[in-house]
This record gives sequence, C-alpha cells and structure tokens, in this order.
Amino acid sequence: MSVISFLLDGFATALAWHNLLFAFVGVLIGTSVGVLPGIGPMSGVALLIPVSASLTAGLPPEEAAASAIILLAGVYYGAMYGGSTTSILLNTPGESSSVVTTLDGYQMAKQGRAGTALSIAAIGSFVAGIVSLIGLVFLAQPLSELALTFGPAEYFSLMVLGLCAVSGLGGRSMTKALLMTVFGMLLATIGIDNVSGVARFTYEIPVLYQGLEFLTVAVGLFALGEVFKTIHETGRQSGAIAKVGRVIPTRRDLRQSAGPIARGSLLGFFIGLLPGAGATLSSFFSYVLEKKLSKHPERFGKGEIAGVAAPESANNAASGGAMIPLLTLGIPGSGMTAILMGALLMYNVQPGPLLFSDHPKIAWGLIASMFVGNLMLLVLNMPLVKLFAKIIETPSQYLLPIIIAISVFGVYAVQINTFDLVLLVVCGVAGYFLSKHDYPLAPLVLGLVLGPMIENNMRRALTTANGDFTIFLSEPLSLLFLLLAFLWIALPLLVRKRGRQVVVSEEY
Amino acid sequence: MKKRWACSLLSAALLLTLTACGQGNPQTNGGGTGTSTSTAAHHSSYPEKPLVVVAPSGAGGGWDKTARSLAKVLVENKQIDQPVTVENKPGGGGVVFLSEYVTKDKGNDYRLFVNSPPLLINHRKKEGNSPFGYEDVTPLAQLTKDFGAIVVPADSPYENLKQLLEELKADPAKLTMAGGSAPGSMDHLIAVLPAAKYGIDPKAVKYVSYDGGGEAMAALLGGNADAIATDASSLGEYLKAGRIRVLGVSSDQRLGGHLADIPTFKEQGIDASFTIWRGVFGPPEMSAEAVAFWDKTLEQLAASDSWQAELQRNAWESEYRNATEFKTFLAEQDRQINELLQSLGMAK
Repeated sequence: MSVISFLLDGFATALAWHNLLFAFVGVLIGTSVGVLPGIGPMSGVALLIPVSASLTAGLPPEEAAASAIILLAGVYYGAMYGGSTTSILLNTPGESSSVVTTLDGYQMAKQGRAGTALSIAAIGSFVAGIVSLIGLVFLAQPLSELALTFGPAEYFSLMVLGLCAVSGLGGRSMTKALLMTVFGMLLATIGIDNVSGVARFTYEIPVLYQGLEFLTVAVGLFALGEVFKTIHETGRQSGAIAKVGRVIPTRRDLRQSAGPIARGSLLGFFIGLLPGAGATLSSFFSYVLEKKLSKHPERFGKGEIAGVAAPESANNAASGGAMIPLLTLGIPGSGMTAILMGALLMYNVQPGPLLFSDHPKIAWGLIASMFVGNLMLLVLNMPLVKLFAKIIETPSQYLLPIIIAISVFGVYAVQINTFDLVLLVVCGVAGYFLSKHDYPLAPLVLGLVLGPMIENNMRRALTTANGDFTIFLSEPLSLLFLLLAFLWIALPLLVRKRGRQVVVSEEY
Repeated sequence: MKKRWACSLLSAALLLTLTACGQGNPQTNGGGTGTSTSTAAHHSSYPEKPLVVVAPSGAGGGWDKTARSLAKVLVENKQIDQPVTVENKPGGGGVVFLSEYVTKDKGNDYRLFVNSPPLLINHRKKEGNSPFGYEDVTPLAQLTKDFGAIVVPADSPYENLKQLLEELKADPAKLTMAGGSAPGSMDHLIAVLPAAKYGIDPKAVKYVSYDGGGEAMAALLGGNADAIATDASSLGEYLKAGRIRVLGVSSDQRLGGHLADIPTFKEQGIDASFTIWRGVFGPPEMSAEAVAFWDKTLEQLAASDSWQAELQRNAWESEYRNATEFKTFLAEQDRQINELLQSLGMAK
C-alpha cells in the first residue's frame, strides 16, 4: 500500500538524528510552555517561529522546512500535554481546552490523587494522539471533504446540542446550571458583532471591541476564585497539606479510564476536524458524554478519574484532527493551526490540496514525527509527574501568592492589556461568590465559548436561507442534532414524570 | 472571619494597584526623547536607543509577520545598530493600540507600528469606530501590496464577473457572498465593491462573515457560499489544484505568477480597484530628523536583496512609496473607502 510506504519514508525523515533532536526540543519547550498559563500553545509556537528559522538555517530548504515544522509541531503537542498540569494541581487552566479538566482534576489533587490524575492525563493524551494520527494517515482525504459540508446550520444545531448537554455540567441544580449558561452567553455578546459589524455593549471603549477574553474570565473564575476561597477557609482546616500519593495509576484506575479515553479520543478527533470548533468544545462534550454514560454521574465534579481522562484525551485528539483540514485543504481550523500554517508558508510550503504531492517529505515527515513526539512526551511526562505533583505539597501561604502571580502573568502575557487584569480580579471575586452559593462555573465558561458560535452560525444560516428557519430542519445532519438535543432534555423529564427511579442530574 | 475579609479585600486592592502601576510603564520609555534628541544638527545620531515595532494584533497575522520581517531585515542589513524588537498589541482590530499610541507616545521616535487598510476603515466606519486615523500618525513608507479577489468554486456556473453580477442584480437574495471578516471591514468592502460599481445596491448583497479567510474558503469549498472575497495572494494552491475559479482581481494591471490569466475588475468593465497595502508608521509629532532617517533607511531596505527575498518567502508583492507619496496615496484611499462606506450606510 502506497500510504504505508509514504509513511515509512516519513519515518526515515523523522528518525534522522537532527530531527529527533528537534522533536525532543520541541516537546520539551512545549511542555514547559503548556505548564505556564498564558503562554499557551499559540503564543509559544508564534514566538518560536523565528528561533526555529535560525536553528535550521544551515540545512537545504526542503529539509530545513521539515525540521522546523517538526520542532513547532512538537511544541504544539507538548503544550497540549502540559496544559492539564496547572488545571489539575492549581485549578488554573493554562488554556481554554483544559478548563473542564479542573472540575475533577483539582478535586482529585485535593484528595491526594494528583499523581494519578496527572499520569492518566498523560496516558489519555498519548492514546488520543495515536488515534488521531491513525485517522490522519488513513482517512485524511475523505474526512476533510466531509468536514467541509458541515455548514452553518449544522454548526448551529451541534451547538444547541452542546448547550442542552450543559445541564449535565451543573452541580446539584439544573436551574442554576442553565442560569449560568445564559449568563455566559450574555457576557459573550460584548464586543463587535462579527455578523453585522455592530458594536454591542462597548460604550465606545476600545478595549471592549474584542469582547471579553475567554482565558481571562476562566482563570479569574477558577484560579483566583479558588484562591479567595482558600484564604477564607484555611481557618477551619489549617495546615492540611494534600499528599501527592502514588503516581502510577492502579489497575482499577486504568480500567475505569479505558472507556473514557477511547470515546474521548474518537469524539475529540471528529470535533477537531470541524474548522472553528476545536479542542475546547471537544473537551466539554466528552466530559458531558462520560457523565451521561457513567453509572455514577453524581461522582463527577468530586474527583472522578473519567472526568480527567475523557477531556484530556479529547483535546489532544482534537488537536490532531485539526491538522487534517490544515494539511489537506490549507484551511486552519484553529488559531493554533493558523500559526503552523504561517510557519509552513515561511518556508515556501503552501499547505493545501497539493501538499502531499508537492512536498511529500515534509508532509509525511511531519506525520511520522508526531508519532515520535507523542511517544517522547509520554516518556518525558511520566517521570515529571512526580516532580510537578510536589507543587501542591507547598504550604498554602507560599502556594497562593504563586497562583496569583501565575494567573496575572499568564493573562497579561496573552492580552498585554491592563484592562484584562482588572477583569481577572473581578472574575476572581465573582467566582468566589458564585461557587460559594453552589452556582457551577463551567456552564458560564461554556456559554461564553458557545455563545458567539451559536449566534454567528445561526445568523449565517439564516442569511443564506433568506430568513427561513426551516433550514435547520431540512438539513439532515442538523435535524439529527436537534432531535438529539430535544431527547437529551425531554427524556429525563418524561421518565421522571412516570415516576420511575432513575439517576439524573436534576433538582431534588 | 472579619479579619479574613479584610485580608482578601486588601489583597484585591493590592492587585488592582499593581495593575495600575503596569499602565505607567510604556510612558517611561517614551517620554522626553522627542525634544532631547532633536537638538542635533544635520548629522544626526538618531537611533541611539533600542527600537520597538508594534504589530497591533496577536502573533501570527499579517501585521505581525510584516513587523517581524521588517525588524529582522533591518538588523540583518546592518541598517541599524540598535536592537529592534517586535511588540504585539492585540485588541479591537488595532483600535485599542492606536488610541493608546496616539495619546501616550506623542513624539516618541523609538516606537513605530505596522498597519494596512483597516487603519483607514476603522476611522471611517460607524461601528467599532477608532477615534484616530492616518492623519493622527506619521506615515513613513508603504512596503508591500496585495489585492482582493472574487472567487467561486470550480464547478460554479459563473465563468466571469459580469455573469455573477448580472445574477446578483436580477435577484440579490439568490447568492451568498462570504468573507473572512465582519461587515464594514476589508473583506466585506472587497466583496461589495464590484457590485456597488455595477449599480447594485451594496446593502442588498448578502454577505456572510466567517472568522478569517481560511474559514471563508472552507465555506466556499463546502458549498456553503456562492462566492467569497479574499486576498489574491492566498489563492495559489487552490487554483493549482483546480478547486476554485477566480473571477477577477482588484488590481489596476494583471498580476503575475499563477494569477497571470485572471482578468482585473477593470478589464471586465467594472471601474473598481482596491489595494491591500501594508506600511510603517511613526507616532504623532515625530521629530523631523527621525522622519528623514526612516525615509532614507526604508528606501534602502526596500531596494535590498534580503528584503526582496523576505517578500518572496511570504508571497508578498513589493511596492515602495516614500513618506510623501504614501501620504498622498493614503488620502486618496481614505476618500475611496469613505465613499464606499457611505454607500453601504456604514460610514460614521
């Protein structure tokens, strides 16, 4: 089979000693970048593009391009791995795709299972990386065409399904979860509306034109909110330092995570394919899916290992899936792949329909190096887990200032704007009060992400259809999503009405 | 409990103070330079401090890449012996940076920035308006140019721009145009410009905006848009692969390379042109010697081999205009953009 022989050629490129070195440096930098919130995968890769250019300056152009891309892809993957670390240990999501991981990951850390959480995240990421690469090798062409047919109507209905699934993200009360979702969507309307170009709720203040930055809000709500909470609660349980516990997951942990990792990988891969949807969404979806499938949905949010395994696998698989539209069509599906595309262009390599025939060495070398990079990450991360996990043994009088510093630094590094620091503090205070009164924070954050997508796609679909709402029902895929969304909400209500005994995350 | 409350209030207050301190920083490296260095006579010592080139966007976009290429080549060519760094100032499509720059960096000869047509558009449009425009800063030079293009899928029934516009004139509700940015921004203007010149009410043209040119292209290839407006330089690969048909480009003369067969709007009888220029700007009240320095330096830069190589790497076309020519050009572009926005009902 020609694919196999191409792939073997790719491995020949990827396993050249200098490329192995580049891949290693890439994943190393990526891991550190991912651990620090703020310097997310995007800015990490963007900042390294000029560095990679000078590192590879001595090589012939085609090889230089292959090596540089291998380095940058390593950073990308490494950062996706590392992103879970601060979410689990400090409740501080490093980038948007690891927000969900905080829900159960931080709880696990508090219970002394930080080591297990970190290592299951690494294992899940590894499996997901391999799954998405296999998809990339064998299914790239047909899948990219399939992803293209996904129009605004389909996106809209998928997002509606996502919002209905939010009910699963709540704590005890579905009403509160829905309230927070709507609040998040309201916040998302701030800024210049992308469909009409009209400025909304900006009051002529230029910093508001862009809207509220998702990362700022998330770090404020989760990390600073937790800091404030700890300050207020330390009196009651003073000096109680969490223990790291064992690093290697038990057989039981692995058995419990196998399903979530497999499902998270597949789900993440397919959502990653869709331009614009990306890693954040896939991590939310896989979490909600696991909660729905679980026999013990009540354990989620309290340190369930599936709640770490699923979203971490999904966001890694999505970053692999996002490579498909980039490599086969030249369409970057996320900000991150857009930067990788910029890097390719810098070497006169145009990603697109002709990439695999014009530059087979680069394309297949990159794919092969991803296999190698994923393996390196697993080997690199497992020993680091113990080291990282030690962080939470730091007494809180030192740990809290560190979290505050990391949050402030991280937000400023992305936004370079003092307004976002004020917003960060405000969100921190809000996060404290909201979680104190048992208002779940994750739906708010999801509303903030989904709000603009749902709105823009609905209006795009309606513009195309000249205002005819039946477009959402006449497109078969869209209809399917809407039906699923309807069932998601209606079934538990129906079942409850009949007085059957079922476990649903509902108000009691 | 009371005590803890006071404690957290205090820490929040401290954080906010810290925040406020951060705001002061950009001023400190700027202040006073305009007056102190301008004392030197004709033999100037101008760049005697490190320089900053600002890209008013996040890392990775067109402005950022232009700024980084500029900084790189300036140092490579040894045209400047001071370090040149690139700073990203994202927010509001450049509006956030510009309002801060114009008010705080007056006369700071050591902070330049890179921009393109949005500098004019943002100042002229009603929504998301920037209070400052090109007249509030010092244009130094235009460095590159690109053009807009109207593109349809390869299997589209429209063979040329006229056919598309006829169809659009007959029933604007039938066709969907798409682009990578919001209405009132560059892609939208390129999409409706030919229509407006063809006597179609630009407001009637259905325009759907996506997040970036890539997503717009995805919509086109996936059959979710009938035509898109985008940068001509981004089309090569799709054209070679036979996925798209380019109906026209917004240049005055035909472009080179793979777009050599593509007729301009004007060739097809539609009197419209639009240049996506990129250039370098200085602060308001820039000292005369700094302006003279940059005029000379950027002219040398534009002619250098290393700059040409850099342009080729990025698939940009070279077009150099010195400070005076650039200013005249901007005035003309500004008028054109204002006219177009007026006709769309989107002007301020």
